[in-house]
Amino acid sequence: MSPATKKILGSCAAASGAFAFLFISPNILYAIQPHAAEQTAWWVWMILLFVFSFILGIFSVLAGVGGGVLFVPIVSGFFPFHLDFIRGAGLLVALSGALSAGSPLMRKGLADLKLGLPMALVGSVSSIAGALAGLAMPANVVQLLLGVAIMFIAALMIKSRAYGTPDLKEPDALSTMLQISGIYYEESTKSNVPWQIQRTPLGLFLFMIIGFIGGMFGMGAGWANVPVFNMLMGVPLKVAVATSGLVLSINGAAAAWVYIFKGAVVPLIAVPAIGGIMLGSKIGAKLLTKVNTRSVRMIVIIMLVVAGLRSLLKGLGI
Amino acid sequence: MNDKEKNTDKIDQVQLVYARVLEMVSHVGMAFLALGYVVYVLQLLPLSVPIDAIAGNWHLKASEMQQKLHTPAGWSILSSSGALFKGDVVSYLSIYYLAMATVVCLAFASVTFYREKNYLYTTIAVLQVLVLLVAASGLIH
Repeated sequence: MSPATKKILGSCAAASGAFAFLFISPNILYAIQPHAAEQTAWWVWMILLFVFSFILGIFSVLAGVGGGVLFVPIVSGFFPFHLDFIRGAGLLVALSGALSAGSPLMRKGLADLKLGLPMALVGSVSSIAGALAGLAMPANVVQLLLGVAIMFIAALMIKSRAYGTPDLKEPDALSTMLQISGIYYEESTKSNVPWQIQRTPLGLFLFMIIGFIGGMFGMGAGWANVPVFNMLMGVPLKVAVATSGLVLSINGAAAAWVYIFKGAVVPLIAVPAIGGIMLGSKIGAKLLTKVNTRSVRMIVIIMLVVAGLRSLLKGLGI
Repeated sequence: MNDKEKNTDKIDQVQLVYARVLEMVSHVGMAFLALGYVVYVLQLLPLSVPIDAIAGNWHLKASEMQQKLHTPAGWSILSSSGALFKGDVVSYLSIYYLAMATVVCLAFASVTFYREKNYLYTTIAVLQVLVLLVAASGLIH
């Protein structure tokens, strides 16, 4: 079988998976018989959540987004858990993913502490504020805002054009003071690539906003961290993606504690979600070369739009 | 020496320290998480709140479920007698451990920054540890 045929077959499999994922979801099946959901044994839901998270994990890697971004909108649309518990689990999903991937990226010099720490410091404070605000709001308002946020993320995914290695520009005064610059080894060109950053004050401000949104919705914020690092501040894409994980692990931990103290973290729900996403991500990484990632990205955008619409409708009580 | 080796030489010592600690705590964390969940769902130890009760009320807001079931939240999980021998508490603790992992990494990073006389980043890292510790203390919930 030729590589092109394999890619087409892979894309077809991904498309049919997405179709099943969206239209044969547990909550839709149970909607046919409303009492069935209540009568279902808890362990059935846990297995479904694990399988669902596993598929999400595969898709998230293939589409180049973090699992945490997909988890909250999609699981809140399809499972019977209250949004509070889904957001609590979502933060832990994002946190665990970032923790498990962090070490090798740090060793290779891709995740950069001096770049990540100042952003994480402002982001973690605002993520705590976001979590407090999100848990204080009525669920329908959060659901409505979540719908808007997801639609925005989908639009961002369609529009954004990442720059692999942006041109080296003059660093700003704050980044010079903060000693933020570096060199990473680019495997594809077998050479060291130096980088430095610009627009640091605006970047810090945006990381504060992103932290707030991440804490409020319990989502990983890689979808926003990476464009800010890469397109605004001029960080090479690989360094941006890796350092985004570092920022996420710190912001996620700060906001997670708010959810923990509000009783919104339930191990029964959180652990299968973490396990499913992490296992799925590993499989997704192996499939990366065999599947047409552009098609998968489009499928994920469609999934986000559907989840966003469901969230908007739920928020409006429709 | 090729470019790759040269780059490895240029990676800050503090990055390598952070990576080493992170690798260790995240591996232990994942194992603890899996083990804690097995103990919990197989009910190998008694539970402070039955699983069926959680499952019957997971459609409620977190605050409503807490009020109804008196589910533990934060460090109150440790307040009952023999808490460490309860299956759900073990699973909760595995999650708390994960949430504390970055604090451990940052604490090591702070010390390394200090040893390197990089006082600016020592301050930033210490402030970050403080933010996380305040969040973990439950003072602001």
